[in-house]
Amino acid sequence: MFSLSYFLQQSMNGIILGCIYALLALGMTVVYGILRLINFAHGALITLGAFFMYFVFFRLGLPFVAALFLVLGFGGAMGLVLDLVAYRKLRGGPEVALLITSLGFYTFIENFTKLIVSPQPYAFKTPEFLATLYRTPYLTFRTVDVFIIFSSLLIMLAFHLFVKRTKLGIAMRATAENLEVANLMGIEVNRVISVAFVLGSAIAAFTGFLWGAKYGQISYDMGFLTGVKAFVAVVVGGVGSIPGAMLGGFVLGLAEILSIAFLPTRFAEYRDGIVFAILILVLLIRPSGIMGIREEVRV
Amino acid sequence: MISLLKVEKITVKYGVIPAIQELEFEVERGQIVALLGANGAGKTTTLKTIMGVLRPVRGRIFYDGKDITFLPAPQRVRLGIALVPEGRGIFNRLTVRENLLLGAYHRRDQEGILQDLEEVYRLFPRLKERENQVAGTLSGGEQQMLAIGRGLMSRPRLMLLDEPSLGLAPLVVRELYALIRRIRENGVTILLVEQSAPMAIGVADYVYVLETGVVKIAGTPQEVESLEEVKKVYLGG
Repeated sequence: MFSLSYFLQQSMNGIILGCIYALLALGMTVVYGILRLINFAHGALITLGAFFMYFVFFRLGLPFVAALFLVLGFGGAMGLVLDLVAYRKLRGGPEVALLITSLGFYTFIENFTKLIVSPQPYAFKTPEFLATLYRTPYLTFRTVDVFIIFSSLLIMLAFHLFVKRTKLGIAMRATAENLEVANLMGIEVNRVISVAFVLGSAIAAFTGFLWGAKYGQISYDMGFLTGVKAFVAVVVGGVGSIPGAMLGGFVLGLAEILSIAFLPTRFAEYRDGIVFAILILVLLIRPSGIMGIREEVRV
Repeated sequence: MISLLKVEKITVKYGVIPAIQELEFEVERGQIVALLGANGAGKTTTLKTIMGVLRPVRGRIFYDGKDITFLPAPQRVRLGIALVPEGRGIFNRLTVRENLLLGAYHRRDQEGILQDLEEVYRLFPRLKERENQVAGTLSGGEQQMLAIGRGLMSRPRLMLLDEPSLGLAPLVVRELYALIRRIRENGVTILLVEQSAPMAIGVADYVYVLETGVVKIAGTPQEVESLEEVKKVYLGG
């Protein structure tokens, strides 16, 4: 009943959705690692990025590469604004204050977008040079699919190298582990946090473009569930672990697509439910996630 | 000559409760000064305030004649103050080498940093062996060495050591104190906080004893040692 080519096709779709979750999870896990903040507003960045791309690329007709860099810059700038306006004043306060603020900012951005664009979804055409269709015996795909997979892997690799090899990256991991001691080392902790927001948000805005190019439609509320699922990916992969967040993204994307592909059609509506069922399952078996660092109990 | 560190009547509070009150002392260049006292006497608070992690509600702190009372911690690191925190404060998930390099975070002289790294490795060959190991896997003694090595990487002029011997085996503590002497011989001034007094008194040039946030006794090791009170409470005799 299900052919190999069907399986491969759906796996590719799962990997692509996984790329999107993984890219978002990257930004979320870094911020969570340092501030213990579940940054719901992170999801809003993919909405903003998608609409920003829509306007600079389709409406203004800027060259593709220029538009991409503008989206990255715009996302990064928004991340910085969020950090400075929303979160910086709350440092040292209770974590729940940060959480509520991030929900508030998400809601604000979503409604603001709705007001400015429209409550109706926008059609987002795949740029022409990404729309070429390829048929092979087992797999049918478009250039955009290849683009998404390669650009995502490239970003993840670059981020990994940044965190592992650069001075700022090492400082970021140190800050995530122990903010007070990082401060003692002469690390300007606030600057490190801002960099985490800027990088994560730039990546999220870029992801918004990927989303539009792949699924052909963007809307003011596209960021909410996507953002929440990206956080689920963070938890599934293991909070505090960057490779874990990426892995979690892929696990979630694949599970979501494959479950609708292979379960009877009447279950298709439950795709979001399935994601959360996976979360519960993983937490039952491995409470600290697949690659999670077990919190040591200190006496 | 002005002293390297001058703490002038500082009061630090946690909420409304003062942890130290009008505390006053000085540290001369090239000295090892020991700050002793029981739990809750305000020793750690004092070091954190000198480092800029805590702010005094009253009083002033002068470093090398400069008022640093309101300077944030990272800038004090740049001026040459390093705190080796209580409990060592090692980044467990980072490698030994990464930990050490973070000590030199504010420095730009790449060559000097690598030289100092080699110097630290000469001082602690064990760390060299474990260079690429995650620091969380080190033993307590090795972690303390790493914490001190990391402090040295910032090329400090004033090193604040918060209970370095805590939780270490007696043999390791002896090694540690030999090391503290060596660091001083290299021209680094040391302010040492300890609960276990004998070793600290043995190495110090000057001793302050704190009690509930105020200096109770001050003097040279010989003067302090001979006091009945100190003998009874801190030297176990």
